[in-house]
Amino acid sequence: MLVFVTVGSTRFDALVQAVLSDRVLAALSQAGCTAVVVQCGNSHFAHTHSIQNGETLNTQQQNVTIEMYKFKPSLDSDYERADMVISHAGSGTILDVLRLGKPLIVVPNPTLLDNHQEELATALEELGHLRSSTVPGLARTIEEFDRAAIVEFPPLDPSRFRRLLDEEMGF
Amino acid sequence: MAFSLSVLAIFWLLCVACILRIFSLLPAQKSSGRVRVSNNTSTTRKLAVFLGSGGHTSEAIALLSSLDFTRFSPRIYIVSDGDNLSAQKARDLESKKCASSSGNNFAVLTIPRARRVHQSLFSIPLTAFWSLSRCMQLVTLSPLLSSSSSQPFADVLILNGPGTCLSLCIAVYVSKFIGCPAPRLIYVESFARVRSLSLSGKLLRPLVDRFVVQWPQPLADGGRGDSFGWLV
Repeated sequence: MLVFVTVGSTRFDALVQAVLSDRVLAALSQAGCTAVVVQCGNSHFAHTHSIQNGETLNTQQQNVTIEMYKFKPSLDSDYERADMVISHAGSGTILDVLRLGKPLIVVPNPTLLDNHQEELATALEELGHLRSSTVPGLARTIEEFDRAAIVEFPPLDPSRFRRLLDEEMGF
Repeated sequence: MAFSLSVLAIFWLLCVACILRIFSLLPAQKSSGRVRVSNNTSTTRKLAVFLGSGGHTSEAIALLSSLDFTRFSPRIYIVSDGDNLSAQKARDLESKKCASSSGNNFAVLTIPRARRVHQSLFSIPLTAFWSLSRCMQLVTLSPLLSSSSSQPFADVLILNGPGTCLSLCIAVYVSKFIGCPAPRLIYVESFARVRSLSLSGKLLRPLVDRFVVQWPQPLADGGRGDSFGWLV
């Protein structure tokens, strides 16, 4: 099983550090994960210097192979090959991952000033589409993650906006 | 004395007239705008959309992907200066939607940003003014100068934030103020706003013809707007 971790276009030091901790990697390994791919953006962590110039770093820890890089023009191929995604709670990432039908754990960034990322994560968790976790609670959320309990996210319904605009324009 | 008094009186009369004019242009605050009689008999509508970068662009592209492009033609994509990613997403959408039809009928136009990320506060008025003047050139001036001056720059303008879209909204109001044809304004609040409106949402809510949110809770205050569930 391959797990893809993404922090989006900025940085999320605490999430990257947590994912690389023995506690979280052990939980992932326990859940059947053999490989982790981390898109770490501009986050600061132990291996920051080795991927400074756009390199990919490959390492191994707790029987899990780890691949790390900063950015890619598109994350689509990483979403595609992942069996599960752990991400920041940005709405774009959430939509991309849920529309692909991949199991998703989101970790809202507590250092962001506005907390509407957390509102979105909570609202979607209440509907059963994903699990929301804190940074310290990540290992536990992975251990308790129940794939069967996830409610499938509905596909985009194009008729809603189409009807609104057709009506507005007198069609 | 009498002269200066009459100048003052005229000045105040003009001010009051302007304010009354602006109020007359505001959309009805209670009606949702659902009933609309269109006198446009053409079979297509010119559509403009602002791509506000990042998540705003992704959502705007998803909204447009829902539409029938044979009805909404041509399409104008407005992007911020230097936002090549949004321009590329617009082109990708066009090639995806119009793969079968011959000749894509769209344009990508750029406007300066009203406020750059991390810009110092005191220089904002300057860049905001520059952004507004370019928006006015696009929305107000260019239709006046074109051969078919009875046509607005677009029939409908879709906005979903962030700040720069306020410049476009103001430019549309300048068109309305001087009695020129102007596009219908539709604002769609982000999928990310579950409980409260964004700043651009709050500012544009009383100004746009149609205000749409994707979660019901931001409308719990009883203010104007519609919710049809998720649109992206």
